[in-house]
Amino acid sequence: MHDAVAAVAVAGSAGSAVAADASDFVSATPRELFLAAGIGAMIACGVTSFFLAGHVSERTHVALAMLVVLIGGFCLFALFGMIGREIPVAGGLLFLGLIGLFKLMNQFEMRRDRTSRRKETSDE
Amino acid sequence: MTARSLYFVNWWVDTLIIGGLSIVAWLGLLAFYRSTNTQPIFWFAVVLSLFVNYPHFSATVYRLYQSPDNIRHFPITACGLPVILIAAVAASFWQPNIIAPYFVMLFLLWSPYHYSGQTIGLTMVYARRAGFPIGRWERMALSAFVFSAFVFGVIRFQRNGLTDFYGMSVPTFPLPDWIDAVVQAVMWTGAVVFAGVTFMWCLKHKRLVPPIVLLPALTHFVWFVPGAGLKSFWIVIPFFHSLQYLLIALIMQLRVRIGVAGGEHSWRRVGAEAKRWGSRNILGGILLFIGIPAAFSWLPLPVMTTAGILAAAVNIHHFFVDGVIWKLRDATTSSALMTNIAEFAAPAAGDFPRRQTVGA
Repeated sequence: MHDAVAAVAVAGSAGSAVAADASDFVSATPRELFLAAGIGAMIACGVTSFFLAGHVSERTHVALAMLVVLIGGFCLFALFGMIGREIPVAGGLLFLGLIGLFKLMNQFEMRRDRTSRRKETSDE
Repeated sequence: MTARSLYFVNWWVDTLIIGGLSIVAWLGLLAFYRSTNTQPIFWFAVVLSLFVNYPHFSATVYRLYQSPDNIRHFPITACGLPVILIAAVAASFWQPNIIAPYFVMLFLLWSPYHYSGQTIGLTMVYARRAGFPIGRWERMALSAFVFSAFVFGVIRFQRNGLTDFYGMSVPTFPLPDWIDAVVQAVMWTGAVVFAGVTFMWCLKHKRLVPPIVLLPALTHFVWFVPGAGLKSFWIVIPFFHSLQYLLIALIMQLRVRIGVAGGEHSWRRVGAEAKRWGSRNILGGILLFIGIPAAFSWLPLPVMTTAGILAAAVNIHHFFVDGVIWKLRDATTSSALMTNIAEFAAPAAGDFPRRQTVGA
């Protein structure tokens, strides 16, 4: 069945390399499809940021960039979340990475214009 | 510094809500309920959730979305983030055994981190009210203590096998053994440094730091260090976290609604506004945690799994919104957090100009 779908998908194309790609898509595992969706979401955030250039504040662009980090971080977490079972040190590093992610997300959509940055520095 | 301005309400209410009640609950459970059968506590916690936990999430949503100004100020948090979370929920529904456990695990690890942030925030607020300065080094020591306590708790929770969330099997997050020792070293160093700085301040100013300043950190310690060994206590920790939150959120709401030029200042108005806000948040909480899962009951998944995934999404959204709306560096937020509830009942003390209010 998969072969048949793949054959239809590549009917208009020539070359075995293309046929192999289509077959890979059809037989992709759920985890791979999830990763592909994550990459798509990251692209969408980047494209949104591009088209909003000049129309929104720097803070909004930074927030979009942070969404990319969040999506990428979650994709990696879903792929390697259990790595600590095999490599304990990697589990520790992953945990530290998660804390870093939480810390970063704590700065989400904060006012980051120059005036408030100067004020924040003096507050500290 | 008067007793009135140190507390949001008064000594009793602030002390009980900020930590006294949870410490008493921990002592009570330690003394009288060490059974591994946590079902009675669980059902008790479910009932409390309707009136405290769920409304605490609803209060955040309400605070963000009640004003178009807030949505304009935080467009990605208000509109972009929900889209991403809906996508994550859809992915979890699609693959409940591959994606959902990681989505839920992300929330379970993020949640105690979020509690730590609230502990730091509460300490900063009470320190400011008490006139106790927390500079860079003090804050670093306090953060070392609080965040290490959170990691200590996470390690204990994981080792004790916190694998069941809304009936969903969530894998434990594997951590190397040495992290335990490192975390304890950092936690106690932070505690000693912060205690030392506090002691020096007391000597210099010849007065004691009000205990309420230290209570949030002490409470956090009880939750995540000795409390982590008591399964029945884990279940009620979110209730106490939510209770802390609701006290502060209520004061902020009163500031928005009553603390404006021309607002009627009286206890009757305070009571009416608290009831209005409270009932809306109870309904909002029921909608978020019962209504929305019920709307997805047609999915070919156990209802509890659907509810668990949605609860994780609501929680993660809450973590973001909280970070946005409660920044102490924001002048309007920090000034509102210096008020006492009595100011909303006394016209002379509480007539704030409209431009200083948040989300009005």
